[in-house]
Amino acid sequence: MLRSVFAKTLRDSERGILWWSLGLAGLAAMMVAVYPSVRDNPGLDQLLESYPEALKGIIGFGGELDYSSGAGYLGIELFSFMVPLLLIVAGVAAGAGAVAGEEERGTLDLLLSTPVSRRRLVLEKLGALVVEVVVLGAVLWVALVIGSNASDLGVSAANLGATTASAVLLALGFGTIALWVGAATGRRGRAIAVAAAAAVATYFVNSLASLSRVLDALQPTSPFYHYSAGDPLRHGLGATHAAFLVALVLGAAVLAVVAVERRDFRT
Amino acid sequence: MIRAEGLTKMYGRHTGVRELTFEVAPGEVFGFLGPNGAGKTTTIRLMLDLIRPTAGRLEVFGLDVRAESVAIRRRLGYVPGDLRLYDRLTARELLQFLAHLRGVRDLRDAEELAGRLGLELDRPIHALSKGNRQKAGLVQAFMHRPELLVLDEPTAGLDPLVQQVFYDLIREAAAEGRVVFLSSHVLSEVQHVANRVGVIREGSLVLVDEIEALRERAATRVEATFAEPPPPGAFADVQGVTEVERRGPTVVFSLRGPADPLVKALARYRVLALDSHEADLEDIFVGLYRGEDAA
Repeated sequence: MLRSVFAKTLRDSERGILWWSLGLAGLAAMMVAVYPSVRDNPGLDQLLESYPEALKGIIGFGGELDYSSGAGYLGIELFSFMVPLLLIVAGVAAGAGAVAGEEERGTLDLLLSTPVSRRRLVLEKLGALVVEVVVLGAVLWVALVIGSNASDLGVSAANLGATTASAVLLALGFGTIALWVGAATGRRGRAIAVAAAAAVATYFVNSLASLSRVLDALQPTSPFYHYSAGDPLRHGLGATHAAFLVALVLGAAVLAVVAVERRDFRT
Repeated sequence: MIRAEGLTKMYGRHTGVRELTFEVAPGEVFGFLGPNGAGKTTTIRLMLDLIRPTAGRLEVFGLDVRAESVAIRRRLGYVPGDLRLYDRLTARELLQFLAHLRGVRDLRDAEELAGRLGLELDRPIHALSKGNRQKAGLVQAFMHRPELLVLDEPTAGLDPLVQQVFYDLIREAAAEGRVVFLSSHVLSEVQHVANRVGVIREGSLVLVDEIEALRERAATRVEATFAEPPPPGAFADVQGVTEVERRGPTVVFSLRGPADPLVKALARYRVLALDSHEADLEDIFVGLYRGEDAA
């Protein structure tokens, strides 16, 4: 488990991954278990219709708003907010600590006295970040597939996978931004602050787009838009939306490599 | 082995090091001395490519530290001045990890070194004392038998017995033709193992010389106690001798070169006691640190 920076980083976050997995699986199981009683309550759909547009934007997830289908229910209850929030928090924490954590703890001097190039350091840390978030997504997916069968949600395993994958890509986008800022500044706090600010701002751009023409024009720049706009719970992963999120990850990764190549590390 | 030419590192307006020019030859143990904050760690971190020079050149193994850092790092061992280890690993795991990164599979050398230094390998690093962490730092620097050892204040926290083992390691490395770049803020830590020393003060090299040459240049202190104090100026013309201090009947001389002229001059008076001290290099260094010229 200590064969590379990649492997060691994953080993360091083993315990964190375990707890996050339990939390995500527990959340999914709880939400799915409640579904049958929600579905059989037609009053909820009427309530939804009476919501103002802004609120619909916030609680909505891509397609139609309803509580009477499994896809509608999961969109509102899990994928519009809780799942992306949790995965982004996990991704940003891992990304911010990737390079800046080593620098702040002072272990970077020792690590970079070995024949590991700065670029390889960033790429192996990114690799560990990707694996960590993908594992969390996979755990969530498995929990949802099992729960969906048990509670008869009527969402295919493929569409659950596509939606989870979309959330994973979203979280990796902000996680990689945190990695970049951490690699460029050596400060974990700053990395978390910048990535969190970007997430909050783009979240509101997407969910409040119906309120203003400016926000509406900006909406396609929001990663949250591409995360949900294709309605992956019903239609699977849209290629262009997924490509946008992948490009975000790759772009931030390139910036991280460029930034780390040109700086002085602090003691 | 190491060649610096006009090496300069600025931090904004603050000078890290200024126009360092020096060379370390194969087989040398080079002592790099200076008070804390003089630029020792800055120089060393430039060699490791952890920071980048503002101006000048720095080559290790004839390779540019910036362009070929990975190739250089493959061949060196390093103990950072502010040594921080992965606290959650055991010392053995730390060594395994670093060995893997260096492409070393065989940990027998590491285990032998740990045994000699008295490092317990299977305790987590956060449970180790400062001295034991430093031992782990030394083991990882020496374990792959690198061609160059860059050691930044490596004896910090080591007890005297372990320091002796450390000096043995340095001597063995030198005997095998490996180069040691050893920084310290006190001369006594390097004078028994170094062939040459460089002294840095406020970012500039103020002296680079062989230890032997320094010793020859250094003055011997001679203390003579007389039955009656000789008249002032009695030794003014004696070759190689300066009168440093008088305490009643005791006169302290500083002697450079052969002792004969002083002995002959003393013989003109009744001498009750005579005491002389080995050339004290530390005095020279304290002088250099303060900014005085080398004696």
